[in-house]
Amino acid sequence: MNETQLILLVFLLAFLPVFYLSGRRVQEGHVPDLRSILAFNMLQGVTARAIETGRAVHVSLGLGGITSDMTADSLAGLSVLEYLADQSAAAGETPIVTMADPTLLPLVQDVIRRPYGADRDEAAQAARRVRWVAPEPAAYAAGVMGTLGVEAVDANVMIGGFGDEYLLMGEAANRRKIVHIGGASDPNVVPFVFATADQTLMGEDMYAAGAYLGHKPWHIGSLLAQDFMRWCVVTVIVILVVANTLL
Amino acid sequence: MISRTLSTVVAMSVGLLVLADFFISADPIDALGLYLIRTASVVAAFALVLGMVNVLTVHLGKMYGREKGWGYSMVLLGALFFTLAVGFLTGGPTSVWVQDLFETVLFPLEATLFSLLAFFIVTAAYRAFRVKSFETGLFVVFGILVLLGQVPVGAMLWDQLPVIRDWVLDVPALAGARGILLGVALGSVATGLRVLLGLDRPYVD
Repeated sequence: MNETQLILLVFLLAFLPVFYLSGRRVQEGHVPDLRSILAFNMLQGVTARAIETGRAVHVSLGLGGITSDMTADSLAGLSVLEYLADQSAAAGETPIVTMADPTLLPLVQDVIRRPYGADRDEAAQAARRVRWVAPEPAAYAAGVMGTLGVEAVDANVMIGGFGDEYLLMGEAANRRKIVHIGGASDPNVVPFVFATADQTLMGEDMYAAGAYLGHKPWHIGSLLAQDFMRWCVVTVIVILVVANTLL
Repeated sequence: MISRTLSTVVAMSVGLLVLADFFISADPIDALGLYLIRTASVVAAFALVLGMVNVLTVHLGKMYGREKGWGYSMVLLGALFFTLAVGFLTGGPTSVWVQDLFETVLFPLEATLFSLLAFFIVTAAYRAFRVKSFETGLFVVFGILVLLGQVPVGAMLWDQLPVIRDWVLDVPALAGARGILLGVALGSVATGLRVLLGLDRPYVD
């Protein structure tokens, strides 16, 4: 085992009990007050607005799939989609979902079908709103720009793994003057999100979707564990900097 | 119920085995880890077929229903079948014909689209540079300093501008990026643990 593996193992072993205890604490009813994140507040009104205007919500899950290093980003996007799909199912206004990686397609179709339960016809109808566009970033961006240009879209939600092509899609949404909520974890993409979206989910905010929108206990517990571990990492960094300076 | 339990057990076992393979270097675990990763690649390749079926369903539906933009769907399906036919008839994706198709059609189109980024960056920067709060004010000041430090005329105006640019990029910008990355890493680990421990099951219906 090399040095990196050892550090990662120690980190993981330290994270596990904190994660478990935080999750259990939330399950027992000790739910913390979560700070307000404007993007999640806005997401809560997106479906109602879309139903009122009779237009659809477009959800872009980006380039990530479930077999790449963008898997966590894709799962964060799925959490947001799950919330929007549940909300919109009652009114029969299913979101239009686009993605670049076909490995995400069955998962997205499941998420879209789930709220319809045993109603197979409605579920099949809803699943037709899920679209695999293209695996190449440029082709995917062109497809999404086309969707935003041709379809009657009221809001654009882009949460997942993105690269530079984010700006092409973000600007297309911006020019149409529709509600645009964006989220990315790559620091190189974050400025594009900031420049084009009405509300942004930067970095780790994205992964909090399940806690904020779904109020899932283990997701809220994860946030507590992440906060605790962040303080630990920051403390270790400060101690090492001081030690390195003095010694 | 049985399928839910089974899929959870399979997902957890495979995830834990691949994780163990990352940390432990032993022949049986290495071989099993490699086999599982290869299997995932094969499954991912099948997903491409699913994607193609999805493209056909969506765009045939649009054409059948004469929905807005159905003409684009016709062009898309035409291009899809043409490329498939060229591939099958000329010897697969490595044939000269398919390579020519990519080099003369797809790559120039991609380059054209990405060249638009330059203009889009200007319009996005114009919007981002409108001072609406203290934070956007700081953003504008540092943006202008970095821009001036980046171009030769900046150094001609004041020789300290490139030094300021380097400091902005190396200290506050890098610190911010590392802060984001630290949060992302923690979020990714938490997401991974939830899936590995079966607490979050996006794969079950």
